[in-house]
Amino acid sequence: MGVIRAQPARVTDWAAKSVGAAWRAFDLQLMTYAALLVAVGLVMAYTNSVEGGAVPLEAGTTFTRGLMWAAIAVVVFVFATAFDYHWLKTLAWPIYGIQLGLLVLTLLIGDGIGGSARWIAIGPLTFQFSEMAKILMIIVLASYLSSRTRRLDSLRSILGACLLVGPPLALVMLQPDLGTSLVFGAILAGMLWMSGASLRWLAVLGAAAVAMVPFAWTYLLHDYQKERLASFLNAHPDLQGAGYQLNQAQIAVGSGGLVGKGLTNGTQTQGDFLPVQATDFVFATLAEELGFIGGVVLFVLFVLLLWRVLVAGWRSKDAFGTLFSAGVASMILFQLVVNVGMVLGVMPITGIPLPFVTHGGASLVSMAAGLGILQSINIRQRRAAW
Amino acid sequence: VTTYLDERPRPIRRVSRYVAFAMIALLAVGGLTARLFYLQVIDGGRFAALSARNRTVEEAISAPRGLIYDSAGRVLVTNVPTFAVKVRPADLPQAMRPQVVDRLAALLNLDPADINATIDSNPGSNFDLVRIAGDVDERVALLISEAGFELPGVEIAVEARRQYTYGPLLSQILGYTGPVSAEQLPNLRPLGYLPDDLLGKTGLEDEYETELRGTYGAQSVERDATGRQTQVLQTIAEASPGDSLNLTIDTKEQIYAEKALKWAMDEVGLKRGVVIVMNPQTGEIKALVSLPTYDDNLFAHGISNADYQALVEDPDKPLLNHAIQAHYPPGSTYKLVAGTGGLADRKISSSTELITKSYLTLGATKFYDWNRRGFGPCNIYCGFGHSSDTFFFQVAGMLGIDRLGYWGKQYGFGSPTGIDLPGEVSGIVPTNQWKQDALGEPIYPGETYQSGIGQGYDVVTPIQLINAYAALANGGTLYQPQIVHDIIGPDGKVVRPFEPKVLHEMDVPASVLKTMRNAARAVVELRHTYNLVELPIKVAGKSGTAEFGTRDKEGRLPFHSWFVGFVPKDAENGSFDRTDSNLVVLAFAYDSRTKGNVATEIVKYYLQQHYDIKKDYRLPNLLERGNFYQSN
Repeated sequence: MGVIRAQPARVTDWAAKSVGAAWRAFDLQLMTYAALLVAVGLVMAYTNSVEGGAVPLEAGTTFTRGLMWAAIAVVVFVFATAFDYHWLKTLAWPIYGIQLGLLVLTLLIGDGIGGSARWIAIGPLTFQFSEMAKILMIIVLASYLSSRTRRLDSLRSILGACLLVGPPLALVMLQPDLGTSLVFGAILAGMLWMSGASLRWLAVLGAAAVAMVPFAWTYLLHDYQKERLASFLNAHPDLQGAGYQLNQAQIAVGSGGLVGKGLTNGTQTQGDFLPVQATDFVFATLAEELGFIGGVVLFVLFVLLLWRVLVAGWRSKDAFGTLFSAGVASMILFQLVVNVGMVLGVMPITGIPLPFVTHGGASLVSMAAGLGILQSINIRQRRAAW
Repeated sequence: VTTYLDERPRPIRRVSRYVAFAMIALLAVGGLTARLFYLQVIDGGRFAALSARNRTVEEAISAPRGLIYDSAGRVLVTNVPTFAVKVRPADLPQAMRPQVVDRLAALLNLDPADINATIDSNPGSNFDLVRIAGDVDERVALLISEAGFELPGVEIAVEARRQYTYGPLLSQILGYTGPVSAEQLPNLRPLGYLPDDLLGKTGLEDEYETELRGTYGAQSVERDATGRQTQVLQTIAEASPGDSLNLTIDTKEQIYAEKALKWAMDEVGLKRGVVIVMNPQTGEIKALVSLPTYDDNLFAHGISNADYQALVEDPDKPLLNHAIQAHYPPGSTYKLVAGTGGLADRKISSSTELITKSYLTLGATKFYDWNRRGFGPCNIYCGFGHSSDTFFFQVAGMLGIDRLGYWGKQYGFGSPTGIDLPGEVSGIVPTNQWKQDALGEPIYPGETYQSGIGQGYDVVTPIQLINAYAALANGGTLYQPQIVHDIIGPDGKVVRPFEPKVLHEMDVPASVLKTMRNAARAVVELRHTYNLVELPIKVAGKSGTAEFGTRDKEGRLPFHSWFVGFVPKDAENGSFDRTDSNLVVLAFAYDSRTKGNVATEIVKYYLQQHYDIKKDYRLPNLLERGNFYQSN
C-alpha cells in the first residue's frame, strides 16, 4: 500500500523571478482606485479643517494629520506588497495571538468617549487596534479555511471558523464597539460564502445569528446603543437627543442637491451642525459639498476597487489568496453600506468608518496593509503546477 | 491500493458564489445610490429649506425705548448699553447642561439652581432665548463670548438698560421695567414681544408701555450649531424708536416736596407720608412724593430675590404709591363736602349760625366736638375755620347720608381720578345703597354724623382729596390729574399735545364755592393752623386729623394728619373770591400722632421753598409725639 503525496513547492519557488515580472503582475488599477479614495478622504479632511477655523496646513489640523497617516499608509502598503504573503499562513497562530493581545491591551489601557476603551495613545497619536484586528482576523481565517480546502463544506469547518472569530469579537464587544464586532461577523460570513461552505449550514448559522438578537438586546447592548437603534426604528425620533445626528446628517445630505454647495461651503458642515463630520459622518460632508454627483463618483470608485479586490482572489492559485480577497472585499462592502446607509438614514448609527475616506489612522493603515497583501498575492502567482 | 493525497494548494473558484457576491454588492451600492438620489435630488428642496432654517433665524431688532423728561426738560430716564447673557435651550445639549450652567454660575456669580430655574420657567419655546442675566460686566461678557464651543447655546446680547437719573426721587412716578412673565407672554406675543423682552412693570413705564416701546424691527441672521450669530443676512424691517414723554412733573418741585416730607418724617419718626403738588387750572401734577420708596435703578440692574423680598415684606409698603394706590379716612378735610352740600342744598346759608355745643346727643350716644367747650353760635366760616365737629354733625344730619354722598361724588370721591399711573384705587363714598350692598343694612343716623366729618365709612386717596380742593380752587371744574404733559415721536414732533381733561363740571352755584374758599381761608386766619397766616403769601386750606385702627390703654386712637391748601395766582395780594389759583398742595402723614398737625408744617415748608421765603416759619414744637387729639 503506497502513498503518493503531491507536496507544495517550497516557499522560494513562488518568489517573483524578477522585479519586471512582479511589476507586470502588480494590479495598478487596484492601487489607483485606492489612492483616489484616499485623496477624497484628504479633500474631506481639508474642508473639515477649514471649518474649525484653522489654516489647513498648520500642524495638528485634521488635514495635516491625514497627510501624515497617508504617508505612513504608503510605507505600510509597500512593505506589505514586498512581503511574501505565504509566510502569513505559517505565522497564522502567532498573528492570532497578537490580535487577541492587542484587543486585551486596548481593553486594559484604552481611552475612549463615554467610558469606552477604543484608542491607545502612541506618543502624540492615537491608534485604534480594533481596526488592525480586522485585517489580522482575515489573515487568520483565510489561513484556517485554506488549510481545510477539501473539507470546506463540512460543519466542522464552519464551526471552527466561528470559534476563531468568537474571542476577538467578544473582546471588541466588551470595549464596547458594536460596529467593529458586526464587521467581524460580516468578514466571517463573506469568507465562508466564498469558501463554498454548505448553503444548508450557512442557513442554519444565519438563523442562529437571528435567534441571538433578543438575547443580545437584553444582555449585550448598552443603553446608548439601544437608544440609537430605537431612534433609528422610531419614525418621530427626539431631534434634540439621539435623533439629532441623524437628522442633521440628512439635512446636510439632502441640502447638497445634485452638484453640492461646493467644497468648504457646506453650511451644515461649516456651521458645525453636523456631528463627527470628519470621521463617521464624513459622507454627509461629501454629499453636502459635492452633491449627488460626488456621491456617485465615490460609489463608482468603491465598486471598481471591490472588483479589483475580487479579481485578485479569482486569479489566486491558492485558497488563501481567494479567501483573503473575500475577507477584504466583505469588509469594505459591509463598512461602505453600513456607514453610508447610516448617513442616509437607512441603517442605525454605529461607529463604523468609511474605508479610506474616514479620517483615522488605524483604519487607513489597516486598509493599506490589506491591499498590500493583495498585491503580494497578485505578484506571487505562478502558473499552476498542473 | 494507492492513496493519492494531493496536499498542494488548490484554488477555490466558485463562479456562482462570485456572481452572487457581486450581485449583492451591486444591489447594495445601487440601493445607496437610489437613496442618495431620493434625498438629494427628489427631496433635496425640502432639505435645502431645512438647512436654511437651520442656519438662518429671524431675529427681532429691539427698538430704543423712549426717554422721559420733566417739565423743565431734564432727562429723567436714559438708555445705557449693557451686556445681557441669554441661553437658547434648544442649542444647549442636555448632557452638557450641568457643566454649562455651573460655568455660567461661576462667571455671573449666580446660584446654578437659579439659572436652571430661569431656563426651566422660560415662557417661550425651546428655540426662544432665555434671559439669564442683564447688566453683565464687559469683561465677563467678553469671556463668555470667547468661550465659544464650551458654552453651546449661550449668547451675549447688547441691550439697553434704563438709567433713572434721580433714582428714588421719582421711582413712584416712573416705575421700572422688568422681564416678560410666563403669564403675560401669550397675550403679548401677538404684539411682537419676545420671551426675553423687557416691559414696563409699574409707574409710567407700565402706563405708557405702548408709546415708550416703539416698534421692533426684524432681521435674518445666519448662525452656527451653537446658536452663535455668524452674520446678518438682511434687515427685514427697521426698528422704530419709542416715543418720549414730557412730564408735568417739575423735578425741582419734586425735590422741594420730598425735602419737606422727609424733614417731617425724620423729625417725628413717621413711617409713611405723601405730598402732592398740582395746578388746579389744568390738572397737571407738579410733584408727587410717596414715602417710603425704592430705587428703580435697583430693578434696572436686575434686582436680587433677597432685595425684592425685603421690599415686598416691608410693612410700610415702599413699592406702593400711597398717593394713588391706598385710601385712608379723610378726617376734617372732608368737611368741605358737608359744607358745600349744606350751602348748595340750602340747608344753611353763608350767614346761618348753628349752636356748636360740646356734644350732640343722638339717642343714648353723645357725639363730642374735638373742642370740649364748643364754639358757641357759629356760621360756616366759624364752623369750617375752627373745624367744629358739632357744626358739621348738624349739617350732615340736615343733608342725610345720600345727599352727603352725592356731594362727595361731585367732588370726585368714590371713583378713580383717572391719573395716568397704574393701580389707582377708588375709595368709598358711603350711601344707603352702598351700605346695603356692602354690609346688608342701612346707614344709622350716627354714621351720617361721622361721615360729615370724614370719620365714617368714607375713605379717600390723597390724589382724590387734592383733586377735590383743586376743583374748589378753580371754581368747580373737576380735572383728570395728569403726569404726562405731551408725547413726542422719535422725529421730535409732538404726537399727543397736552390738553386738560375735564372729568365733570360740579353742579354747584359759584357763590357756594366762593363761600367755601373763604371758609378755607378762615381756617388760616383763625389761626387754626397757627402761624400759617403769618406767611407773606396767602394760603387757604383745611387740616384734618383722622383716627384709625384700635384704641390704646387709655382709650385713645392713633391718627393720620392731613393738610391741603391752595394759593391764589397773586400769592401775596390775591383774593379767594377769585378762582385763579394755580397751586394746590397736599400733605398726608400716616399714623402721625403729633401734638400739632404735622401735615400743615410739611405744606408750610414746601411753600417756603416754592416761594423762596427766607424766614423759617416752621414750628418744630408742634411735632412732638403725643397720642391724643389736640387740634383738628
